[in-house]
Amino acid sequence: MSLSQDGIHLAALDREHNLNKLLTFFEPKVFSAFSQFLKSFVSFLSEQKVEAPVWGAEFFYLEENRKVSYFTDASVAFEHGFSRYFRQKFPEGTGAPADPGPLKHEFTREVAGLFRETAEAFLSTYWMGRQEVIVLGGSPRDCIQRALPAGKSQLSYARELVKLHTHDEWLSSALLSRGEKRDLLPVILSEHFGPREAEEKYLFQKPRTELTEEYSPYGVVEVYTDNDSFRKQGLLGFLDDHYKSLYTQKPDFSFSNEWVLGSQHKIKVFQGSKQTRVHLGQILKLFLMGHRVLLDLQDLPAELEKKLHIFFIENNIRSQTVNFVTPTSIYELGDGRLVTFEGRRLVGKPEQRSFWQHIFKYFTLTQPEVSMDEDVLSFWKIRGASAHELSYLDVRRVNFYNPTSYKKHVTIHTKNHFAFLRAVDPLRATAKSVSQGVEIELLPNGKITLDFGHYEEVAR
Amino acid sequence: MTLTLIYHFRPSESLEAGFVPAAYKVVYLFSEQGFLEASLLREMSKTIPDANHELVSFLNLDDLKAFALRVCQEVGSPEVRLVSVQDYNVGIDGARDLRGFQGIFGRYGDVVVNDELARKKGFLGKLFS
Repeated sequence: MSLSQDGIHLAALDREHNLNKLLTFFEPKVFSAFSQFLKSFVSFLSEQKVEAPVWGAEFFYLEENRKVSYFTDASVAFEHGFSRYFRQKFPEGTGAPADPGPLKHEFTREVAGLFRETAEAFLSTYWMGRQEVIVLGGSPRDCIQRALPAGKSQLSYARELVKLHTHDEWLSSALLSRGEKRDLLPVILSEHFGPREAEEKYLFQKPRTELTEEYSPYGVVEVYTDNDSFRKQGLLGFLDDHYKSLYTQKPDFSFSNEWVLGSQHKIKVFQGSKQTRVHLGQILKLFLMGHRVLLDLQDLPAELEKKLHIFFIENNIRSQTVNFVTPTSIYELGDGRLVTFEGRRLVGKPEQRSFWQHIFKYFTLTQPEVSMDEDVLSFWKIRGASAHELSYLDVRRVNFYNPTSYKKHVTIHTKNHFAFLRAVDPLRATAKSVSQGVEIELLPNGKITLDFGHYEEVAR
Repeated sequence: MTLTLIYHFRPSESLEAGFVPAAYKVVYLFSEQGFLEASLLREMSKTIPDANHELVSFLNLDDLKAFALRVCQEVGSPEVRLVSVQDYNVGIDGARDLRGFQGIFGRYGDVVVNDELARKKGFLGKLFS
């Protein structure tokens, strides 16, 4: 069986309360059985004349806020396989790293790659690609929690959904029983992780590049990082407080036409330490195309720093430099904005919050300001204005959910660019217009949807 | 409220960075209501000399039991059941469904009784009988 790093057998309770035990991927018989399954599956697809494309899914679970692949293993079969891999890489034993951890991770990814390549080879014309899927309730800790009399709370699942939404991760709720999918959980799943979202994720629908009359998910910031440096610099804390559920955090970006067009309105934040020549070139292209970009120069390779300077000189782009907490340079070209800063100078500084407030004030994001009690979930969507809403640039919709056992309050400050249009489908919730915007009261398991028309303020 | 503590024994290792002694690491600690907060466990581990507070691990089984008892006293639980991951895994192997899985926590491991609570109850029992 597969073992976690703490030596626990991996097992999961399914929706019918059966205990499913996971075999290790590193047992040769498992790979052999997988190949047999693929052969039979392809025959089945061919005999049934199925034309549907097939995605390969690699499944993960969440434990202590980390995403862990089911490939991650510490079983005897894994150790035997790793020993052979190690001897192949370092036959003389010299040059071997002191810490085998990264090498074990490399070995795990290679074996995962082998399963994927085999599936791709068998499925050939059917193969669409690989998706990562996070299974709610699928961790060893969840297995215990779900078996306790109190079970796993709706609030715990809700917090995981916020994290998954922020990281633009896809999920499966297949393990959850009817008793577990109660109250607001099935509503949130169907409204924000439902068929429409699945169709976009699995590319059965083209990603939207412009607004239509149909609502689509809305965000204002994209943060590209795979480590915790932006958290240490205070950026993620600031975004959690001011733009909760309006930002995403991903390890990398795909420079496609759809992404460039669809994310024109979003501020993009990049880390210098992760950049290659190609990536930096793409970031500069975004700036030239009118996007708003933040670039942390910490650990940017010297060669790329030079390339950056040459770019500004060749294009005759001057900077305005400010020294507040960290040296910050601002470059403007048409609608494009590029702000560079030294992230390491923000770490541990009490003024880091003030720094980010100034940065985002400079970018003037036009978005209602929301103050909400802890553990209220919110999801934003946007659509184009309809024929009888021509005074608006767009219409923004926000869903609020209270998965707790307490009454919660939310205040939305519409400022000068938004008109409160309507409250939709309130359930154990009320909304009241006030001079500054809207005040909402959500009872336990309450939810409400609000629509706001976005208009351009007329200059006086 | 009965506590269950699942622990993992890691044998000692001689690494290039130095010798790492054997340790009993707390993997999970929970009651019928749910898991105890990690901050509480780290705080309680500070009452045990030579414990690793970050990992909540202990040099020997006696220290682990002392920690478990300390937690019992803190949360007012009458006892704590210590289950090794080996026993837990045997339980998983034998279980087929939710009921079988729940049975693991009553069948395996060693019970450490919170004598202090038992004495109090005994005294109060005598007082009010």
